[in-house]
Amino acid sequence: MSFLNPWLLIGGLGIALPILAHLFNRHKVKETDWAAMQFLNRNVRVRSKQMRIQDLLLLVLRCLAILLFVFALSRPFSTGENSSALSGEQRSGVIIALDASFSMEEGDENSNRFKRALDQVKVISESIHPGDPVSLVLLGAEQDVIIRNMAFDANRFRNILFDLKAKPEALNLDNITSSLIGLVEDMEAPQKEVFIVSDIQEKSWNKQISRLRDGLKKLNENANVFIVPINGQPDNLAITNLDLVSGVLRKGTVARYKATVKNCGPNAVSNVTIQCKADGVQVDSKQINIILPGTSKTVSLFVPFHNSGSTRITAEINHDTLKTDNVRRVVAVVRDCVSVLCLDGTSGSAGRLLNAALLARNGGVKDEDYIVRSVPWLTFPTQDLEKVDVIVMANVPEITADQAKRLSKFVRNGNGLVWFGGDNIKASKWNEQGKELLPASIGQAVNNRDELGTGKPIDPSMPDHFVVRPLQSLPEDLISETRFQKHFKVEAADTSVPVLKLAGSDSPVLLEHSLGRGHVFMFTTSAETNWNNMALTPVFPMLMQKIVTYLAGREFEQPRVVGDSISLSYTSQPDANDAVFDTPSKQTINVPVRQYRNHYVAMLENAREAGFYTVRVSVQSAGIPVAVNVDTSESDITSLPEAELRKNLEDTGVTIASNEAELMSAIQAKRTTRSSSRFFIIAAIVILLLESWLANHFMKKRRPDLFKKQKAKQEQKVMSPVNMEVSHDA
Amino acid sequence: MDNLELAAQEVVQGLRAGAHRSNLRGFSTEFAHHRQYVPGDALRDLDWRLYGRTDRYFTKLYEAETNFDCYILLDSSASMTYGSGKISKLEYAKFVAASLAYMVLKQRDSVGLSVFDSGVRSYFPPRSNMNIILEIDQVLRNTEPLPKTSIAKQLSDISMMLKRRSFVILISDLLADVEDIKKGLDSLRFAGHSVAVMHTLDPYELEFPFQGTWKFNGLESEDPLITQPERIKEDYLTNLNAYLEQLKSACIASDVEYSPINTSSPVDKILAEFINERGQAAVAGGRS
Repeated sequence: MSFLNPWLLIGGLGIALPILAHLFNRHKVKETDWAAMQFLNRNVRVRSKQMRIQDLLLLVLRCLAILLFVFALSRPFSTGENSSALSGEQRSGVIIALDASFSMEEGDENSNRFKRALDQVKVISESIHPGDPVSLVLLGAEQDVIIRNMAFDANRFRNILFDLKAKPEALNLDNITSSLIGLVEDMEAPQKEVFIVSDIQEKSWNKQISRLRDGLKKLNENANVFIVPINGQPDNLAITNLDLVSGVLRKGTVARYKATVKNCGPNAVSNVTIQCKADGVQVDSKQINIILPGTSKTVSLFVPFHNSGSTRITAEINHDTLKTDNVRRVVAVVRDCVSVLCLDGTSGSAGRLLNAALLARNGGVKDEDYIVRSVPWLTFPTQDLEKVDVIVMANVPEITADQAKRLSKFVRNGNGLVWFGGDNIKASKWNEQGKELLPASIGQAVNNRDELGTGKPIDPSMPDHFVVRPLQSLPEDLISETRFQKHFKVEAADTSVPVLKLAGSDSPVLLEHSLGRGHVFMFTTSAETNWNNMALTPVFPMLMQKIVTYLAGREFEQPRVVGDSISLSYTSQPDANDAVFDTPSKQTINVPVRQYRNHYVAMLENAREAGFYTVRVSVQSAGIPVAVNVDTSESDITSLPEAELRKNLEDTGVTIASNEAELMSAIQAKRTTRSSSRFFIIAAIVILLLESWLANHFMKKRRPDLFKKQKAKQEQKVMSPVNMEVSHDA
Repeated sequence: MDNLELAAQEVVQGLRAGAHRSNLRGFSTEFAHHRQYVPGDALRDLDWRLYGRTDRYFTKLYEAETNFDCYILLDSSASMTYGSGKISKLEYAKFVAASLAYMVLKQRDSVGLSVFDSGVRSYFPPRSNMNIILEIDQVLRNTEPLPKTSIAKQLSDISMMLKRRSFVILISDLLADVEDIKKGLDSLRFAGHSVAVMHTLDPYELEFPFQGTWKFNGLESEDPLITQPERIKEDYLTNLNAYLEQLKSACIASDVEYSPINTSSPVDKILAEFINERGQAAVAGGRS
């Protein structure tokens, strides 16, 4: 026999209490001389030996009751196949890990994987004894412990299950076993069982099988581990991307978005319709004839912007059993007008090239809502920045501290800055004044000319960056024709990221960093043709237009994934202490505004829902929508075949139970530990009752007068005043 | 020993003194009432003035204090040594006896004393001298208490010793057979003595308030008893009350005044009650 709380056995010393009480109150025979002996009833003699025996009997019973209570509290249990029912009850602490990733929503509403998983959890709960410790964990991107070591109560447990829902998150198997081991160690029970109820997605379980196997083996050393697979249909379509491809987000323009639909199932799917909606109104629809298994198809969706402001754009597919990944969302912040101010530090050549690059569209037709102005850099102090969205500084020799401060404030308010180098740049001045503004400190100019004097081509460092992505559609020889003969050697700040590099070197050509709610792009080369030939190639207008589109878009245009944080930055201390985040399910979360470095941020750390959040600086203010999408790595919902699962986990000691009967028989077979606590408690209570009865009996014999008095009092109480009056009258 | 005298003096202070009256009228100076003359009445008692007014002969009757012998019988048997508090029944009885003696002597009457247990330990004939109080203490100090055997025999022996008709006060716990006690009292009564019993009992003997387990060692050589008093209390009180009733009845039957004394009560209070009751009894007896 072992004990769960062996240290509580020290409580056995508690029997000293009744022994001491017995010694202190031992029956003493007091002695007196007595004259009136003739009136004493000599029939009632007390033999002190008899009294000693009675007292000793009571003492033994009290000590025994204490010992039994101490034993019960120490939680004794016996382990072994041969344990009989007499050695105790089959008790076990149970931890249920329920896969709540969105793949569990596959199926119709009444019988999806999650509902079937809950049914299995109910079957497991039938084997749990009332009062046994139970923990319930929802698995997703993180583990949500719903209940921890709750004393099992069937009704309460069912109510908890009733409220559970799958989460729009992908299953993260990385630290599941370690967190389950933590829960097992935290639980006090003679025997522990861990049930993992999951749809066992082939993609995630196969991907980490060796690591998972090690974890499960370790977990199985601490508890009996059961895996309960939930089967389902593997067919699933998912929209994996919805991106802005082209077009500046201005009122009255049309932007092209690209939606990617992936067939994650094993069967080809035909006639897939993708609907595009702007603020809930369908604006475009495309059909894909067929999507082969495991492949993706991309369609272009055109979204006209009739009004300025934030527009909620969704791409949706229908008739798919897993609905969570059938929608992709993005927010477009549409402006009335986009204004670009070029500060030209040259004699005008850079300005002309930039103007040409930014306006190189629609055959050069002038657009009233898209203004590009080029001015000498010395006029910067007189420029009104209120109506400017993006500033391009080309070969500007230096700035003053005030100008740096003004530019910094301009960017922090959510606008953009593009910086070009050149021969006029005074590196030391910029490093001094523009330290916070620029993503890197400027070093010496480096000559890249080779023997032929052609310079080095570019190598996109971040091919997924919004700015660089269109370059991939250009022919390779066109990109390689863009040569850079000279650039500044720079030392990038920790917060900056390189976007373009020179091929064959680590020297960045384009760097980006964010400042407040805005962004700064820094070219380490010039906008003119004396340091490169970029302005003479299609790369330059593509890059510049994408940069302006990127910078003119507000920060929340970038969609988030469930689990990401959503933050709201303030350039100055806001009036309200809290920012308000409205969730897609219309819940309101108040998030305190905190000072971070030299600006103020309200951050919702974990967006738990998929949909459009609305962020407001205060309850009264207008909201800014933020799109939150699901992580489509979860969309491949093909389950691992049971045979393969058994093979993969065969040496881990884990029990796999694929149906109710198997599950129940596996539990019965594994639950060999018996707890004797209840037996000891019952025995202790019985002995206490016996002791109480005997004590009462002995006392009644010793002091009959007391009992007569009590009886008389009771009789007096029974006689109510009414009865007394009646008898009096009678 | 002056203490006992002082104590007796203190007790008696304030009590009614010299208030005992003779049951024989006609020989004193205090006029009581008239009665019609009958032949044989002394002529000096005729009320001539009344004859002058009424022409009828009336004899004047007088009620007056008279000398009398008081005899105190003090039980000093072993049972009297019991006391639940600071003072035993014997100690208490000693104070009562001394106080009574003092009171009687102050009235210029005479007091005798007899101390007895299994036998008559000492006998002092009545005298009008305060030395009697000293002797009470002396006797009690020198006497080793012994169990009493028969009260009847002791009282009978004492009655033989008394020369004159006396007022006999018996101070005892009377823990003996009621019949035996009655015989003793009758022997005193038959000898023509007026008898009063001061039945001295300890409050514990009256209430029996013991709790727990007790061993009772009999003072009169009875076998000890270990018992739980709570269990026998009811029987004890029943037996005690029955005994007291029998004793009271026996006293009434023998024309003996019976006064129960609780040793927890102050001696002066006991004496006041005793004297008061005696006075009333004497008045009632005189008119009957």
